[in-house]
Amino acid sequence: MSAQWAMGQVKVPALEPWGPAVYSQMAVSISQQRVEIHKLRQGENLILGFSIGGGIDQDPSQNPFSEDKTDKGIYVTRVSEGGPAEIAGLQIGDKIMQVNGWDMTMVTHDQARKRLTKRSEEVVRLLVTRQSLQKAVQQSMLS
Amino acid sequence: MQDRLHILEDLNMLYIRQMALSLEDTELQRKLDHEIRMREGACKLLAACSQREQALEATKSLLVCNSRILSYMGELQRRKEAQVLGKTGRRPSDSGPPAERSPCRGRVCISDLRIPLMWKDTEYFKNKGDLHRWAVFLLLQLGEHIQDTEMILVDRTLTDISFQSNVLFTEAGPDFELRLELYGACVEEEGALTGAPKRLATKLSSSLGRSSGRRVRASLDSAGGSGSSSILLPTPAVGGPRYHLLAHTTLTLAAVQDGFRTHDLTLASHEENPAWLPLYGSVCCRLAAQPLCMTQPTASGTLRVQQAGEMQNWARVHGVLKGTNLFCYRRPEDADTGEEPLLTIAINKETRVRAGELDQAPGQPFTLSISNQYGDDEVTHTLQTESREALQSWMEALWQLFFDMSQWKQCCDEIMKIETPAPRKPPQALTKQGSLYHEMAIEPLDDIAAVTDILTQREGTRLETPPPWLAMFTDQPALPNPCSAASVAPAPAWTQPLPWGRPRTFSLDAVPPDHSARACSVVPLPPQRSPQTRGLYSKGQPRTWLQSPV
Repeated sequence: MSAQWAMGQVKVPALEPWGPAVYSQMAVSISQQRVEIHKLRQGENLILGFSIGGGIDQDPSQNPFSEDKTDKGIYVTRVSEGGPAEIAGLQIGDKIMQVNGWDMTMVTHDQARKRLTKRSEEVVRLLVTRQSLQKAVQQSMLS
Repeated sequence: MQDRLHILEDLNMLYIRQMALSLEDTELQRKLDHEIRMREGACKLLAACSQREQALEATKSLLVCNSRILSYMGELQRRKEAQVLGKTGRRPSDSGPPAERSPCRGRVCISDLRIPLMWKDTEYFKNKGDLHRWAVFLLLQLGEHIQDTEMILVDRTLTDISFQSNVLFTEAGPDFELRLELYGACVEEEGALTGAPKRLATKLSSSLGRSSGRRVRASLDSAGGSGSSSILLPTPAVGGPRYHLLAHTTLTLAAVQDGFRTHDLTLASHEENPAWLPLYGSVCCRLAAQPLCMTQPTASGTLRVQQAGEMQNWARVHGVLKGTNLFCYRRPEDADTGEEPLLTIAINKETRVRAGELDQAPGQPFTLSISNQYGDDEVTHTLQTESREALQSWMEALWQLFFDMSQWKQCCDEIMKIETPAPRKPPQALTKQGSLYHEMAIEPLDDIAAVTDILTQREGTRLETPPPWLAMFTDQPALPNPCSAASVAPAPAWTQPLPWGRPRTFSLDAVPPDHSARACSVVPLPPQRSPQTRGLYSKGQPRTWLQSPV
């Protein structure tokens, strides 16, 4: 696990119209996570319990999770409650970089789905990057 | 200069062929002819192919053929020398020293090759912009046999280069040296610049960053041909990708183990080289060896076995010496049918064998005794052979086995499993349909004129009817509704099917693929665009952002 702090910081003015102005600083950190998911057998299928979106053949501007709207990577769009993915620590909005060593940053949507749903694999090890907003509220004295 | 090189090349080929003929070594000659023909084929293919992947595969075949021709030539020279020396060096007084015992041959298999990479942090996290790609493969040489692995495309999202293929060498001796060479070629820069039109090429090369720009300029400046074999076997200098030696190592018997081991790589290239990859410096693999003495029976015949300790009881058996055991079967047929042997005597490094020294039963002078130490006990089996010759041949087989075990060392402890490598499928690149969409999607070009240039250049000779979406570029009267909902693939309404078939990915269509029984939800589409609209969407960009449950 390693974290990297992004350079940009966003200043958001506080909502109160009166009184000293309070500025909240939000910083975006990008961390890399390794997630190991053990598939769950449901009848004939092995499921992971999440949904993916994205791909090089998809329209990246419609991705609600990406910071850069030209990013054609594979993102986690939904995590089923109590499913194997949630148990393993996968979160909505994660970008999947690798699955069991296979690259997922330059694949089509269908290729990505296939790489995750191989019948011969019971465990998938994902390498994901995760953005998290950290808010630090600072009081700025402006009288 | 080129002409001179061609002449030299032809002369060399002639010389090689003549040498092979004069030696009357038909097998080597046949192999050499085969390689020369393969090489000519690869040169032709390289000159004719247009796709990057094909060019890479063809250049790789060329490199492999060249290496093989060189090694066969070396072998020929050695044999020629040996022949010449043999003819002149023989002295009449030489009765010939007793033949030195030579160890048995074996099969050596290397599999599960993995080379870890070491990217800089900044490169790994940054996922925007173009992806530098490399094409790599391994060349493995044992004696005069050269084999290659498949070619793998590597980019910075991979942590290791993993090769799926198993490489098997038969006819290896215990003193084998397996030389491993990693070759790499840079893919993206060369391909992008040789394919794109001139204007774009200059724009791109001037706007590239410092390190990649340096590499690009280095690769553009350097002429074709590779390394030391360029004078002997010049490769076509025009346009093709160049493979550089990135790292090498040599593995010997000491590296053989029935499991994975990591070995050090000697790095051969530095950062200035256009094909330089950040290698961690080691290679993991499974190197297994099966000496023939372990897998094939080395002696068999009739024996009489005395049960340990009982003087009177002699059982007649069919003995088979295989690996580290002497199996005694009731009947000769049992050995083939897989029946359990009556008795198994272990023969290993600790075993002691003596001939004809113990108390002999009357009338049976030819005995063999085999002693093994089991903890504190010593167990001795006494065997009788039918004749002096039989005894001699059994002893000889046993001595050979002991010698082989001393040479092959750890390979004789237990048989290592070797999987016969499956015949490799032909390179996938040649069967892929080259749809323009796939080439464009990876590097979006925002110069529409350049796109149409590429389009007409590539597709112009293949199309019989212009596809409907061409109407968006050329302002011709629109053919039947080109902008059906999010569909770039040919719609069923057309009467004439497009010559190159459907693009590979089904998710281009708004309708989810039939083979998946699960629901695919489609994010609501943007409103329909008229055929006359310019901008990104008129290039045929996808308009869906599908989500699939897994």
